[in-house]
Amino acid sequence: QSVTLRATANSNETDEDYDGLVVFKDYVEAASNGEIAVELFIGTQLCGNGAECLQGVADGSIDVFVATSGGAAGLFPYIQIFDLPYLMADDRIAEEVLTNTDLTAQMRVRALQDSGDTIRIMTIGNTGGWRNFANTQRRIEGPDDLKGLKVRTVVADLPQELVRTLGASPTPIPWPELFTSLQTGVVEGTKNGITDIMGMKFPEAGLQYLTLDGHAYMAAIWVMNNEMFLSLDDDLKRVIVDGFHALQQATFASPKRKSIDAYADFVSGGGDLYVPTPEQKQAFQDAAAPVHDWFAANVDGGEEMLANFRAAIAQAEESVAARRAAELE
Amino acid sequence: MLVWFLPLFLVLLMVGLPVFFALLAAPGVMLVLNGQERDLTLLYRNVYNGMDSFPLMAIPFFLLAGEMMNRGGITQRLVEFSQALVGHFRAGLAQVNILSSMLFAGLSGSAVADTSALGAMLIPAMEREGYSRRFAAAVTAASSVIGPIIPPSGIMIIYAYVMEQSVAALFLAGILPGILVGLGLMAVTNIMARRAPGAFPPLRRRAGWGEKGQASLKAFFPLLTPVIILGGILGGVFTPTEASAVAVAYAAFIALFVLRTMTWRDLPEVLSRAAIMSSVILLLVGAALAFKTVVALSHAPEALASLILSLSDNPLVLLLLINLLLFGVGMFLDAGPAIIILGPILGPIFTSLGVDPVHFAIIMSVNLTVGLATPPMGLVLFVASSVSGERVETIARAILPFLAVEVLAILLITYVPAISLALPRLFGFL
Amino acid sequence: MNGFLTVVRALGAVNAGALRVGRWVGVACMFLMVVFILIQVFWRYVLSNPLPWPEEAARFLMLWLMVVAPTAWRRGGFVAIDMIRLILPRGVAVVLTLALLALSFLVLVTAVQIGWSEVTGLAGRFKSSSLYYPTGDGWAKLPLGWMMASLLAGFVLLASVTVELMLRQVAVMLGAGDRLPAVPQADPVGAE
Ligand code: NA
Ligand code: NA
Repeated sequence: QSVTLRATANSNETDEDYDGLVVFKDYVEAASNGEIAVELFIGTQLCGNGAECLQGVADGSIDVFVATSGGAAGLFPYIQIFDLPYLMADDRIAEEVLTNTDLTAQMRVRALQDSGDTIRIMTIGNTGGWRNFANTQRRIEGPDDLKGLKVRTVVADLPQELVRTLGASPTPIPWPELFTSLQTGVVEGTKNGITDIMGMKFPEAGLQYLTLDGHAYMAAIWVMNNEMFLSLDDDLKRVIVDGFHALQQATFASPKRKSIDAYADFVSGGGDLYVPTPEQKQAFQDAAAPVHDWFAANVDGGEEMLANFRAAIAQAEESVAARRAAELE
Repeated sequence: MLVWFLPLFLVLLMVGLPVFFALLAAPGVMLVLNGQERDLTLLYRNVYNGMDSFPLMAIPFFLLAGEMMNRGGITQRLVEFSQALVGHFRAGLAQVNILSSMLFAGLSGSAVADTSALGAMLIPAMEREGYSRRFAAAVTAASSVIGPIIPPSGIMIIYAYVMEQSVAALFLAGILPGILVGLGLMAVTNIMARRAPGAFPPLRRRAGWGEKGQASLKAFFPLLTPVIILGGILGGVFTPTEASAVAVAYAAFIALFVLRTMTWRDLPEVLSRAAIMSSVILLLVGAALAFKTVVALSHAPEALASLILSLSDNPLVLLLLINLLLFGVGMFLDAGPAIIILGPILGPIFTSLGVDPVHFAIIMSVNLTVGLATPPMGLVLFVASSVSGERVETIARAILPFLAVEVLAILLITYVPAISLALPRLFGFL
Repeated sequence: MNGFLTVVRALGAVNAGALRVGRWVGVACMFLMVVFILIQVFWRYVLSNPLPWPEEAARFLMLWLMVVAPTAWRRGGFVAIDMIRLILPRGVAVVLTLALLALSFLVLVTAVQIGWSEVTGLAGRFKSSSLYYPTGDGWAKLPLGWMMASLLAGFVLLASVTVELMLRQVAVMLGAGDRLPAVPQADPVGAE
């Protein structure tokens, strides 16, 4: 049995998705003794957006793909739980949730069901750290400072609802038009991770104020064509599953390393980096709270998956606290 | 095996299969022969998703605005304005033709629209005054390539879409190169008229200040269009795509209410024409993106990139080679599909060699635009031939001196980055 | 012969009728696209209250412009290099044209098959981000299949036109080309 997996990510070779894929390819090709080859297509060579690539995964023209929560929302709306603000405290909790709770498995079952047994969620990693509010106008210390700001979002209802709830104006602008729109003032703010902000040179368009509110974890949902996975024998299945584990670890680590330089570049370019105090963070959380109810009420499968998510976070907080206590002994 | 779709594509093109079908048939056939039937779906889906783009919407809108301007008698006002300014020069009407193209370029994003609108009016007028028909058609075709260089521009919208560049930056970058090409054409016309005065009609009289004033007044509203488009984009009022819709509204407003050269009853016909042109262009964009997908599957880009880099590592030498390549490609392929297929292959090579992406965009766009005026796939030549009744081959020969100037302009644009980059830099895009 | 020509004329009439409807759809799409984008600018810039739907709605309409592309195809407005056909002897050129039309038809039939499975399959079930349609009880998110159907409709019409063009070539081969009603000509079109 010898197979070639066609893997694609809509980013570029400086992205943590690529780091993950390189690790995956290396592990799988070595561990399978060459029985599985992995062919990488980085960028939009095969498909240009989440919906399109997921269709490709569903029909088998693409074997492996990484989607963002926004990109998968058209088919799996509940995946947007990761865009819900201020639920997970930090990387350690998030990584515990994604590795040591049932959340990923619950999503896998649901996604297989909703895709007619074609799209299999293999693992969930990170892409670009955490989303923060950044803008061209002023330092944002609390939710009140966001009032009236025109903040760019993707065309999806949850991020727009969040921005609206915080008193700003959600403005849908396509990603390639964003630099110009910031430059000319069509929009005044964005909610992105630091590596995307620096990669797109947004500070040169005036995006000089960044508040580390960390409102959402930038989850990367790695999927595979289910038929392809099931067609492998048990040994190769194990190689694949372990490969995705290695990939996940790489995508946890890579943004942390990359963001150090990105933040340094942002500040040395004259950028204003603000870390909110615990009180201010609490104010953000209180102001954004209504979005959770909106999500549970309006998104298909939202209520159930949000309950799963909260349970997983509680479990993760508990086990991390216990382990930390042991580490402190 | 799969890479055979490239020669197959060329053969299908040469025997006369429409570009749209050739872009799909060649990769499709090779995928099937290669046992990759499942990838036909990939091909189909990229056609659809290639068209499903908000930034691309600027193309239908600028085409619609151009149709309205044309229908609204605005073209004529631009010609009268040019006449008042340069009509008394040597080979006056030829100079008017070139200047009108530069002005028209500020309203329209298409060389085809330029040729058909200005050609229909100016070629007969030039013939009446004693110019040969082939010269009139050649000047019209040669100057119409300025249309997509000076903003707005359909091909720059496509470039920005495929290469994720800022449309506003590309628009700004095209202004000076477009003017450069226009001035070059005016200069060569002047030289030709000095060398062989007998072949040209006698000088026309200079327009008086009164006439100049009146012509300026009449051209005022149309000439405000580029100011509104660029001003609105740079002022943060709207995005480039939105600007194209505003251009439509403005064109409709002046044609319906200010100049009253169009009535509401004309509207369906205008919309229908723009819709037909847009649908064909969108299909071409989609098909070219699908083609590009198979290009990626075949691993041709890596091979081509390493081939190019093995020739030389001097950017200046490579740029010259690329100019030759693009000029050749432009002879066989429309600028739009050529950009979609080659942009992602060539762009990164040159960016990594230190060429500014915006500069490279202009090199590529100008090169392929000039290719529109070279046979066998010279779209603008076809149109000039159909509006003038002159044979394509005849026009192709008469256009040679103008092409020579345009090639010179390409070299200048290639080796003097400031021509492209000065304006985007001034407005903070670089 | 007369029976054959009647079939070609009938198909021609059906196509002409369908394309006329298609052009009116295109006119409406074009008009509404402009209106929606102007609404978007006005609400955002003047009222400072950006709307979520105009972008996607305008994109939806742009995709439905596909139903006017077959008008261009029927009128000969798809760009091609004609030189070889002009050089060849007339009889050979007609056969070549027929072969090229047959290849185009093959492309279109394949596209229609794939398009149908896209619209009716998983792909078509993806939900729009901002567009809703009314149902018995309230509003539901629009499935993207409604958008994807545009390209399918365009390909179906293109295929139908191709059959007509092929039959017309056959009529030309049989020396009866002048007994069919002419199709109005179009200008060549490019993004340039
Ligand atoms: Na232009
Ligand atoms: Na001209």
